[in-house]
Amino acid sequence: MAYEAQFYPGATSVAENRRKHMSGKVEKLREISDDDLTIILGHRVPGTDYPSTHPPLAEMGEPECSIRELVEPTDGAKAGDRIRYVQFVDSMYNAPSTPYFRTYNAAINFRGVDPGTLSGRQVVEARERDMEELAKFQLETEMTCPALACLRGASVHGHSLRLQEDGVMFDMLERVRLENGTIIVQKDQVGRPIDKKVDLGKPMSEEEAAKRTTIYRVDNVPYREDKEVLEWVHRIFEKRTMYGYKPAVQE
Amino acid sequence: METSASDTKKPIQIEIFPKRMMKPDTVEGLLNKLCSLEGIQRAFIQGPRLPTKVPFGPAVGTPVHHPLRTNVHFGKTEMGLEVLVGRITLELAGKEVMEEINAICVDTLPCDYDIREGRFIQTRQTVSDFAKRGPGADPVICGLYDPKSKVESQVNLLKTNEEE
Repeated sequence: MAYEAQFYPGATSVAENRRKHMSGKVEKLREISDDDLTIILGHRVPGTDYPSTHPPLAEMGEPECSIRELVEPTDGAKAGDRIRYVQFVDSMYNAPSTPYFRTYNAAINFRGVDPGTLSGRQVVEARERDMEELAKFQLETEMTCPALACLRGASVHGHSLRLQEDGVMFDMLERVRLENGTIIVQKDQVGRPIDKKVDLGKPMSEEEAAKRTTIYRVDNVPYREDKEVLEWVHRIFEKRTMYGYKPAVQE
Repeated sequence: METSASDTKKPIQIEIFPKRMMKPDTVEGLLNKLCSLEGIQRAFIQGPRLPTKVPFGPAVGTPVHHPLRTNVHFGKTEMGLEVLVGRITLELAGKEVMEEINAICVDTLPCDYDIREGRFIQTRQTVSDFAKRGPGADPVICGLYDPKSKVESQVNLLKTNEEE
């Protein structure tokens, strides 16, 4: 029988969602066109070619190298794309994902990406078209609620604040707003106004966000209720502290 | 033995802490009702600042036009709201109005809230205050402004018939 990765312990809905995010087996909830995504990211004008930093690899004549033969370059690397970034911010109030699980999702399921995990934001650097593939995946699936998560290249501090009255995460630059029950993006990642308003669809209800979140909270699924997770965290902490990841020393 | 603020004749301070950040309309409604009560000496609103321009990043200097940064009216006084209000601190002459404040919050706030009693506004000048304002600073506005800013931009005295 082939080995199947288990990804994360636990029996609660939060643990199950964490497994989903890590494995990439997440439900697609919305459709965002390539042009809309390009507008929100703000790195290039929609419809234009990807600017490149070097000629396509096929034209460059690569040196003989066993590793280069073994590893197929990503589409972005093949074409010589620039390195560009996407940065997500997730609210602490039951946002579906968190920086850690966005990073797990990126590192496990995508090639050629460089995720950076911070307390309030998660940035991924990659060749432009590889980055867009990841950004589209994370935006279109249940990893993102348009009201509780946002693309923010600068000024991310709303993630730790209480939500606004309308249930949208605070943003001092007001990149997104709730209009007629749907979330409309009106500025790009860094706060430049965009020509076309992008509709990200309806936000999740409070109940749905609580069901899809990967965050343990005392007012939803408390961390200490997940006995299996707690047991494994204790086990890893003890092994790391006592034996420096050398369990054999214990015996 | 020290005595707590609640069992002396000294003013007491309370903090209204809603579970959601309040829209300007809600703040206006809430504070207008609170203003009508007797015995509220000072009020302090706090929340994240709403900038007029993007302060950093590649789009620095771009106008923000945040719709929540607006003017609100308290009785006859107009005030520019530069923050999204997250909490309101009140200084009361006594505990008699607590029930009325609670009733106003129930009527006005669209979400749950907490009301806590404690010490939320500073009582003495800090070194920064002293360096900026000197020894003759008005003790009534102590703790209501940032030492780096102008008092007029952060402290509003409500206009009343008696011109208090």
